[in-house]
Amino acid sequence: MRVVTFVRELQDLLGEERVLADPLRRHVYGKDGGIRRGDVAVVTLPATVGEVAEIVRIAGRHAIPVVPRGAGTGLAGGAVPTSPSLVVSLTRLTEIEVDVESRTAWVGAGVLNLDLSKHTAAFGLHFAPDPSSQAACTIGGNVANNSGGPHCLAEGSTVNHVLAVELVTATGEVLVLGTDAPDPIGLDLRGIVVGSEGTLGIVTRALVKLTPNPPAARTLLAAFERVEDAAATVSGIIAEGIVPAALEMMDQPMTIAVERFVGAGFPTDAAAVLLAEVTGHPAAVAAEAELVRAVAESNGATRIRVAADQAERDLLWKGRKAAFGAVAQLAPDYYLHDTVVPRTKLVDVLAQVYDIADRYDLAIMNVFHAGDGNLHPLMAFDASEEGVLDRVHAAADEVARVCVAAGGSLSGEHGIGLEKRDLMPLVFSEADLDAQARLVEAFDPDRMFNPDKVLPTGSRCFDMGRPVPEGIWI
Amino acid sequence: MTSVKAALRRRLAAFLSDPIEGAPEGAVAVAPATLAAAGEVLKTASEHSLPVLVWGGGTHQGMGGRVDPAIVLSTARLDAIVDWQPEDMTVVVEAGVRIADLEERLAERGQTAVLPETPGDATVGGVIAAGISGFRRLRYGPTRDRMLEVDLITGDGRAIRGGGRVVKNVTGYDLPRLAAGSFGSLGLIGRVCLKLWPLPEAQRTVTLAQPQPDYGYRPLAVIEERHQVRVYLAGTSAEIEARTAELGGSHEEGWSWPEPLEGSIGLSLRLAPRLLADILEQMPSSWSYQALPGVGEVRVGVRDFDPETMSALRRWAENRDGALVLTDAPASVYSTFDAWGAVPAGMELQRRVVARFDPDRIVNPGRLPGGL
Repeated sequence: MRVVTFVRELQDLLGEERVLADPLRRHVYGKDGGIRRGDVAVVTLPATVGEVAEIVRIAGRHAIPVVPRGAGTGLAGGAVPTSPSLVVSLTRLTEIEVDVESRTAWVGAGVLNLDLSKHTAAFGLHFAPDPSSQAACTIGGNVANNSGGPHCLAEGSTVNHVLAVELVTATGEVLVLGTDAPDPIGLDLRGIVVGSEGTLGIVTRALVKLTPNPPAARTLLAAFERVEDAAATVSGIIAEGIVPAALEMMDQPMTIAVERFVGAGFPTDAAAVLLAEVTGHPAAVAAEAELVRAVAESNGATRIRVAADQAERDLLWKGRKAAFGAVAQLAPDYYLHDTVVPRTKLVDVLAQVYDIADRYDLAIMNVFHAGDGNLHPLMAFDASEEGVLDRVHAAADEVARVCVAAGGSLSGEHGIGLEKRDLMPLVFSEADLDAQARLVEAFDPDRMFNPDKVLPTGSRCFDMGRPVPEGIWI
Repeated sequence: MTSVKAALRRRLAAFLSDPIEGAPEGAVAVAPATLAAAGEVLKTASEHSLPVLVWGGGTHQGMGGRVDPAIVLSTARLDAIVDWQPEDMTVVVEAGVRIADLEERLAERGQTAVLPETPGDATVGGVIAAGISGFRRLRYGPTRDRMLEVDLITGDGRAIRGGGRVVKNVTGYDLPRLAAGSFGSLGLIGRVCLKLWPLPEAQRTVTLAQPQPDYGYRPLAVIEERHQVRVYLAGTSAEIEARTAELGGSHEEGWSWPEPLEGSIGLSLRLAPRLLADILEQMPSSWSYQALPGVGEVRVGVRDFDPETMSALRRWAENRDGALVLTDAPASVYSTFDAWGAVPAGMELQRRVVARFDPDRIVNPGRLPGGL
């Protein structure tokens, strides 16, 4: 009965067409781009921040968990509800307001990443973070996961490009944290909201920094007979004192899959392929491209291809960004991992990753943001095969452990969500997790926003799994 | 009073330091040599609700509300460069490492932490706590963008770590970034891991007579002063030659950074970059300044305290989502002119966060806006 009242209140606010409670839609919204499924009570489609705030107040009165959602391209289960929840889909918040002179824009959470850069192209500006899903993922999702992408090597992840967020808090208050002036005074709460995976509140708009489009760019593709040579080239380029705009690597299985899918002329006989891009002043680009070529050659590159024009650049990048789509041709399901190791450990860790896949009898292919040490091992499989999911999870777990043991981290850009939540004690002590839980508590004392994500149960020391009244610890 | 101080000195006997130059004199001075020792000091302070002022190089003590401490905790002995991985371009340092020393070491292998260029005695911990960035932020972003990992000793003496020693990481909440500009409100910033950048092959400073609407594609830094503009270039020799020709003016090899401004009062005006020209027009001619186009900061040196003009500029800035912040002033100024001005939105939220790291509010209490 309670659910009925609850839905009616939402319908009074949004109208029936923007409150979805039928079984099909609840099913569709129960999943993100990963492999887990959750339980949706009702989906709302607000179009204004005021509506979001009112939805949060209604959910609060009925003590129903609230799960914010962008395009659902996440892979870590961040948008997958763990108990019957109210899903707030933010895709209708699509306003963009550009300040060309200050090179900033207020962007609705529902704006697609690529649409933002298309919108600002006329001003010679773009939004630097460029996840492979950028044609589908939203700015709100980028903010929630602190998304990266190939060009984060030189430009940094989403958090480096967010100057302010408009946040709907647990009480339904609308707060703007940060400003278009540098170094907002007081604690930098906008920075903690970015990457918080929807657990601290709902971000309805973000003020983002826009980056000038480079006047010149050169994209090179180098083929190697050994993965070690490609990795040595990555280290060699960095050691020469240049940080290219992107340094991406694919192993042979991935290159074969991509080539079949895109036909970009990737060398399928190479053990590893390195995609490097240098951007900037025309004089800089020419010199740096030469340097990249020299380092690749000295590390045994068998072939080097320099994109002759924009069309060829686009084709090479299409190959890289279509990697995950390409895999769909090979098997009906895939699991895409995301871990980080110090760049110098890439080769060691990769050998261990291959070994793990062998032991679990799984097809594995690799694509990396090599310059950042960010690995994306991808396991392709058929979920209808009995027991395969268990093997995939066990292998993924081992890969994460290997990366942490090499001094790395659980996730570079996809987030922790549900997927890696229970691995958090691998990298953080009890006291560390407790501190993070206290931080969440300061924003959301009743844990109404995206509960059960990021932090494992019991992170709050003395946490008995019940909401803790505000102020009891101070 | 003295007997209380004597008791405190006995309690902290293992950590006592010589008097710290420039620090409030009535307080007990300690300089713990390890993070664990710093934890002991803060635990003691917390048990007795004694205010602690953290002291690095003393360079940014002019910022924020005034603290009347019972204990001054110097980071002078937390001075180790713990782990430098040149190939991964990361460095782990303790809070008390002097920036000048760190940058000198890093330069040996052609790297930089992009910390302030004329740091004086400033320490890594101090600059992070105060949220200070160098001029090169125009190209590389503010200091907070390079915070990869932080070890904090919370106000109640807990040792906690956030982030990790990799250059890209979304594992858990971003405590390292939160520590930047926290002024100790989360506790003592004990140790940090920073992302490094390579120093370029060639460095040049171009001097122009007038501000320009455009200084070319993403220069390293631009500083507009009252009678000249300096544009800082970095890159390959070919690039620098080409850019110098495009800019005109005169030039010298290397980066010639301006010294901190003179004047009894230092201000930092923070505005959307598009408002910079407007605010410069309103600036009294006796004030010296360094304006950072593209960043939106104007560093100002004021010879004599001028509360009317300062308040008027502060109002103008605050009405446009900006701020006017005191960076240095004689002690008497703070009682009539607030260090920060209007409190930002979300102050209650800030209080709730701080309460979870420093429940007795003992580390630099009152240093943040709103007396937090």
